[in-house]
Amino acid sequence: MKKTSTGNALAAVLLLSASFPASAALNVVATTSSMGVLVKAVGGDAVRLTVLAPPDRDVHVLQARPNMMVALRNAGLLVAVGAELEVGWLPAALKGAGNGGVLPGSPGYFEAAAQVPLLEGGRAADRAQGDVHPMGNPHVYMDPERMAQVAAALAERLATLDPAGAAGYRSGAAAFRKAVDARVPAWMAKAAGAGSIVAFHKDLVYLAALLGVAVTGYVEPLPGIPPTAAHLSDPTTRLKGKKGVILYTDFQPGKGPEFLSRNLGWPQVRLPLEPPVGATAEEYLKLIDRWVDAVASGK
Amino acid sequence: MKTRIRVAGALALAFAFAFAVPAFGQEEAPAPGPAPTPDAQAAPSAPEAPGKPGKPEDPSPEKPGPIEPTGLVPKSFPLFGSSGQVTSGTSFNPAISVIPDLVYYRDSVQGGAFGIVEGADGFHGAHPSHEDEHGGLAEGFNLRETEIAFTASVDPYFDAAALFAASEEGFETEEVWVGTRRLPAGLKLKAGKFLSGFGYVNQQHPHQWDFVDQNLAWELLLGDHGLNEKGLQLTWLPKLPFYLQLGAELLQGENEGIASYVGPENVGPVPVDDGETPGPDRVLSRKAGPRLVTGFVKISPDLGYDAALQLGASYARSAMHQELHDEDEDGIVDEAFEGTVDLYGLDAVFKLDSARPRGAGDLVVQAEYLLREKSLGLVGTPDSARFRQDGLYVQAVYGLAPRWQVAARYDAAGMTNSVREGGESEGFGTSKRVSGALTWNPTEFSRIRAQYTRGDFFSEGVKKTFDQLYLQLQISLGAHGVHSF
Repeated sequence: MKKTSTGNALAAVLLLSASFPASAALNVVATTSSMGVLVKAVGGDAVRLTVLAPPDRDVHVLQARPNMMVALRNAGLLVAVGAELEVGWLPAALKGAGNGGVLPGSPGYFEAAAQVPLLEGGRAADRAQGDVHPMGNPHVYMDPERMAQVAAALAERLATLDPAGAAGYRSGAAAFRKAVDARVPAWMAKAAGAGSIVAFHKDLVYLAALLGVAVTGYVEPLPGIPPTAAHLSDPTTRLKGKKGVILYTDFQPGKGPEFLSRNLGWPQVRLPLEPPVGATAEEYLKLIDRWVDAVASGK
Repeated sequence: MKTRIRVAGALALAFAFAFAVPAFGQEEAPAPGPAPTPDAQAAPSAPEAPGKPGKPEDPSPEKPGPIEPTGLVPKSFPLFGSSGQVTSGTSFNPAISVIPDLVYYRDSVQGGAFGIVEGADGFHGAHPSHEDEHGGLAEGFNLRETEIAFTASVDPYFDAAALFAASEEGFETEEVWVGTRRLPAGLKLKAGKFLSGFGYVNQQHPHQWDFVDQNLAWELLLGDHGLNEKGLQLTWLPKLPFYLQLGAELLQGENEGIASYVGPENVGPVPVDDGETPGPDRVLSRKAGPRLVTGFVKISPDLGYDAALQLGASYARSAMHQELHDEDEDGIVDEAFEGTVDLYGLDAVFKLDSARPRGAGDLVVQAEYLLREKSLGLVGTPDSARFRQDGLYVQAVYGLAPRWQVAARYDAAGMTNSVREGGESEGFGTSKRVSGALTWNPTEFSRIRAQYTRGDFFSEGVKKTFDQLYLQLQISLGAHGVHSF
């Protein structure tokens, strides 16, 4: 009797599992909403997008959730930022998903950091230096130029997974490239002559490099280590009398930036690091516009 | 019997799949363009092929604009030829982490609190072979087991892990397993020694616990090491819009609480009073492994980004559980029991992820209930007995401030606690504890914790209470640990 009910339950699961829509669109999972922007820009309507990390969280310290495993279980392609940014939760979510097709090394695994040259690589793997990424800084999504390169690589990957849609993917990547190129001159012009940046974390390195603006200090003494009053006195004395701006994001505490702003007389600007989930390329570039305006406010 | 053979057959078939299926995978054309990083989990490797994407470039923030495509820059060779060797060096090493655990301990009963816990009424059968070998801490400084973990992908088909617990007494194998990477349809097969998927907390190593000690339900019903067995595990995540995991395990059956195995030992005749003639020798049964089967279901509705809930139900059946009782410790076995054990488990975990920095505002509430039923025969007699015990815990961990957690736990064992022998039935009192802990995590790699516990136990029918104080320092060296939900 018992066995029969177990059998029935199993049959029900099998039936549900079979009836779950296996539509033609490719299931693509993006770890962050900025990676989602690329998936949407390149994949368009040919892909169905799921974003794992909410845009207002620190991706360094996120935890794996069962619904991440469901998304990865049903995914044909995983698009990650990479360079160990998601190391705390993505391996756990992949482990729970049981989908060999999207494991690193498979055609279904794509990481942005592996497609472009990284800054700050080759440094000592010593955690006394904080939460370091010895292979290079992973925050490539703050550089639209690199994002355009990643988009081109993503188009080729999608084309191998779905050859029928290849032309659409390539034109999507080309359109993204065009939109970026159209904005770069205005960004450079705005940022020209801007003072330096004091950032909370090393997440603005690529944006600063693109704009040719120096990062002269960090609010946190080491990556992932919260600031202390003693540490904050250093940039205060070092940068007194110079021009610049203090930049930070949603999930970074405002106390340190506010303290520095008061003592240096610099503006402090807090902006989202990631666009909303499901954002278009236009929305992503508008967010970069806001960051460029913030950098320019340090003149 | 038949069922088990069938299960074994199914598992063997799945194993065969692990080899057969990847053959299809090999036909997949490698993606053109830059290759993805081989393994995001692999330890960072220093040497990189020139021109490989992801190769660190000179940190020159002055150089804006698009960067020269990699792979096109010719490598410069030394004039008289290199005497070097093109080698991967140690890059293939597995990810390694070492987790030492230092505890300062005091209690209100001259260090006797662990003895009271282990002697809780109705649970004395849990430690048949070795008394007081583990578990207890000395008053003062203790170096608990240092976990040493190695993990890596074996090849495209398998992942593997080897985890050891090194203590001053020796080196124990906690887990050594090989798992499939590429089974189809959401199936995964694991072979080796591993922590069973039964329940929730069982899959956590001691350094992942939210308290210094294990909860009473698991500690008293399944012992210090939990359900940690050799065997096979098959899990299945069906293609559904919500999370449903089904799992089954075929295990050797050596757990002291539900599958203690002595083997076909002669324990002599039933002890008799002076002058009486002893009866025939009592010989325990032989039963080849695997002797333990488990099954579990975990279900989790999609609650979005901020919350997650997982509910689980588990069942285990041991085909052979043997206990030798020597109450007066005279070296003569007074009672020898053997029979079957059923174990039932229910678990629930709820997590709330706040947008505040470094864990502030995060909440985790978890609870488990375990019920064990032993149906044992008294060897050498026609008598039999049924032992029924249960245990539960409820705990909550809250992110007080960035990097600070406060936790509270209530755990109890023996709410249902009885022995039914022949027509007689004997009940025991419920033993319980209340604990509070304050944890500071300077980074993800270090942890300092203070814990206070108040125990309220029944031991030999007498109520005993104690207070415990723990101070813990735990660090993690090496690769970034991966913690499942």
